[in-house]
Amino acid sequence: MWSYVGHIEWTSYRFRPAGSPPLGMDPLGSRGVLGVIEECFSAEEQEEADEGITVTRNQLQEKVVEMENFAGHLEEIFLTVEENFGRQEQHLEQHYNEVLQTLSQRYDQRAARLDLDKKSRLEVLYGQLLGCGRTMDSSKELIEAAQGVYRSQDRRLFLKAVMPTIQRIEEFAKEEMDLTLSTALEINTTEDDLSDVKTMMDSISVVPAPSAPVINPQMANSATQTSLRVRWNLFSDDTVEFYELFYRPVLEDLPADNTHGTDVCKVKVKETHCRVTDLLPNAQYELWVMATNTTGISPASEKALYMTVPSPPAIKERGCSSCPEAALIRWDSGNNNPVDSYTVEITEMDTHGAQCGAAEAIVAVPSCQCLIQLQQDRRYMVTVRAVNIGGPSEKSHPLGVSTTGTLFHLLEDTAHPCLSISEDGFTMFYGDEELPLSALAFDDNNFARCVAVLGDLLPVRGQHYWEVAVDDYTEFRVGVAYEDTNRNAYLGATNTSWCMRHILTPTRHKYEFLHDGWSPDLRITVNPMRIGVALDYDGGTLSFYNVELEQHLYTFHCCFQSYVHPCFALDNPGGLTVHNGVEAPGYTRN
Amino acid sequence: MENVGCQTNIITIRITLSLCLSPTYTINVHTMFMLQAAAVQMWYKPGLRKGACLLVCIWSERGIERQMHCSAVLSKMALTQVSSNKCAGGYQKVYEHESVELQCKMKFAVYLPPKAETDKCPVFYWLSGLTCTEQNFITKAGAQQAAADNGIIIVAPDTSPRGCGIEGEDESWDFGTGAGFYVDATEEPWKNNYRMYSYVTEELPKLINSNFAADPDRMSISGHSMGGHGALVCTLRNPGRYKTVSAFAPICNPIGCPWGQKAFAGYLGADKSTWEAYDATVLAASYDGPKLDILIDQGGDDQFLSSSQLLPDHLIAACSAKKIPVVFRRQPGYDHSYFFIYSFMSDHIKHHAKYLNA
Repeated sequence: MWSYVGHIEWTSYRFRPAGSPPLGMDPLGSRGVLGVIEECFSAEEQEEADEGITVTRNQLQEKVVEMENFAGHLEEIFLTVEENFGRQEQHLEQHYNEVLQTLSQRYDQRAARLDLDKKSRLEVLYGQLLGCGRTMDSSKELIEAAQGVYRSQDRRLFLKAVMPTIQRIEEFAKEEMDLTLSTALEINTTEDDLSDVKTMMDSISVVPAPSAPVINPQMANSATQTSLRVRWNLFSDDTVEFYELFYRPVLEDLPADNTHGTDVCKVKVKETHCRVTDLLPNAQYELWVMATNTTGISPASEKALYMTVPSPPAIKERGCSSCPEAALIRWDSGNNNPVDSYTVEITEMDTHGAQCGAAEAIVAVPSCQCLIQLQQDRRYMVTVRAVNIGGPSEKSHPLGVSTTGTLFHLLEDTAHPCLSISEDGFTMFYGDEELPLSALAFDDNNFARCVAVLGDLLPVRGQHYWEVAVDDYTEFRVGVAYEDTNRNAYLGATNTSWCMRHILTPTRHKYEFLHDGWSPDLRITVNPMRIGVALDYDGGTLSFYNVELEQHLYTFHCCFQSYVHPCFALDNPGGLTVHNGVEAPGYTRN
Repeated sequence: MENVGCQTNIITIRITLSLCLSPTYTINVHTMFMLQAAAVQMWYKPGLRKGACLLVCIWSERGIERQMHCSAVLSKMALTQVSSNKCAGGYQKVYEHESVELQCKMKFAVYLPPKAETDKCPVFYWLSGLTCTEQNFITKAGAQQAAADNGIIIVAPDTSPRGCGIEGEDESWDFGTGAGFYVDATEEPWKNNYRMYSYVTEELPKLINSNFAADPDRMSISGHSMGGHGALVCTLRNPGRYKTVSAFAPICNPIGCPWGQKAFAGYLGADKSTWEAYDATVLAASYDGPKLDILIDQGGDDQFLSSSQLLPDHLIAACSAKKIPVVFRRQPGYDHSYFFIYSFMSDHIKHHAKYLNA
């Protein structure tokens, strides 16, 4: 007849047989384990017997553990049941006390009423009695008067008094004597309304409807991208059969009003917690709980706001660059709505690709990019998580970062329309074909006259190095430029760019090192096929080398006012390939 | 005799006698005289003179007499310090010696950087141009600071033998004294003394390597004008000997210019085929050796450039054809003087340091 509060999980314990060891040997046979072993001649069989024994031993050990667990569970159940009984007892005691109290209250009330009644009746009767007494007095007086008149000798006085007296007697005789009691003699005992006591008695065996549960605020790290773990508590020692959890998404543009918009979903659970699934990531949900038992349904709990965890971001590989001392990581949020912040996790990898060292995390990154300080000549694995109040999302796909040399990608939206870039993003071509005018789409960012493209910004002080592979017949410009370099000008023609230029004349190869339209007068006897470009922000130098010969060609001495982009241009149809992520050779260092 | 070490190799004969421990040790006088005699004999033997260097160190308690005997032998190849000035943390010194090749007293300047006090340093040989001595470079070029910073010894010899008493040696400024052209003359009366090529490539390095904290395996060469011609010729004729070479306004093609024609005719005779061995442009066209990296600076307002004495285009063409790496920089406004050299000397030292300190 009682139902206990809470829900106890019963684990079914299946008792498995010990299992027969291999080779069909019976370790628990009459001879015992050792006897069996002794009988084995070959080492192999002995080994297998040992194995069998080990297996059986392990199984038995597992069984022991299982039984211990079961005993533990039984104990827990016993304690819970004991608790429940205690609570029940308390509850009943309380209930009966209430009933007794009510009854005694009623009794007192009734007694008081009767008392009052009695008093009023007595008063009435007393009044009547007084009345009768007065009447008796007046009739006595009349009789005495009549007697007096009768006794009077004086005929004249008699004649005078007899008529009024007779009149008075006649009047008096006409008077009706009200001899009835003004009050009833019986006391009307009204039947007390004891129906509520009856219901109280009845309700002892009846469980009250539960009161509203208390829904807990969201616990840290309990949410996932598509599910929420909701917990709530009972307000008091209510008996509950099941709970119903209601939830609906909170959309920013709709008012939080039940009558509009989204449907409310409902989940029926027996426990005081529930994992709600099939939700949207990075979304806010409103949840409330109602408890139900045989008597009825509780009022709704207060509405709690929970948030699912965002979807993981996606690192933009082409948007990331690295250099010996730092890496710039950019990613897409992965969520339609804004998240609170991002966490970037970095793990160092050794040469075999295994993790070495602890992971580091940079938290509270406000935007979709992060510049991380790293150590030179190492490999790292970087992942990003989006974070909101629900917790962190899953890790994004990792990006491998190497801090050997400087790695950057080309900013394709700065490229001149005639410049096409390969799949891998490191080779560029200036095609022979004339493009139709419609294909030449110019916007503010791309080069319009010089067939050029910028590389990603190098936002870290120190030294950077990359190489460019060219052909003998390609007229190229290779160097660095400020971000705001004039897109309508040629590289090297302005004071916002520095470059090495190769010109092919009918008689010979010519090399210029251009900045602000000026170049030194230089002659180079061996045409470089692979050019090393070394940028030193701190030293204020930009140097060019013939990598194959390890020959220094020229150094610009400049004072960089801000960070620069590598820049590349082709002056005649041809191609060039950028090789970066290469360690700067010794001869390029000061 | 204890601790007598005797090493013999073809080029250097060095006998070292060192007494480390015993202060009471006395040398057998007879052995001493025998050593002296052997030394003197070797010295005068023609085949062994070339590169023979005898160094005897004696330490004995009855020393003075014996020292005097030996010093007679030593004085033949001794260096006499002429001057020493502290400069840029190191020392700029000038020495004098009796040259075997040139058969006269020769001076040369040596800059020892601070590093030379503790370690062996590489050596940068500087060949000066027409009319210069060992003084011009050390007072005007401003190379000492860069040399100190990079730990390089700089050796700057004179430009020709002096005071040999040859008739006509002082007649012209571009032939004879101060104009050795770094050749080994074959014509009389020059051939006994005017052997600057051998002096620079053989005698001087040995002298330097034996007397200073010099690393014999690391040397490079450079020069100005006639010295530039000398540096290029020495490099092209001795593949692998010099780690690198550079030049300031060199005479690139002496066969083709008035200076070269006058000098070669005088020193080498009328047969022009003998001149080719001392012409950088010709040598470049047939160079076959380790990869070079040549840096040449040329003043744009150099009067000798415009008077076709220097002819760098010929050298560039030859190197382009033979794929010899050259970076040739024309510096507008600069002339032929040491002001020009001073302006770009640090670039050159840096270029040399890259290879000497590699």
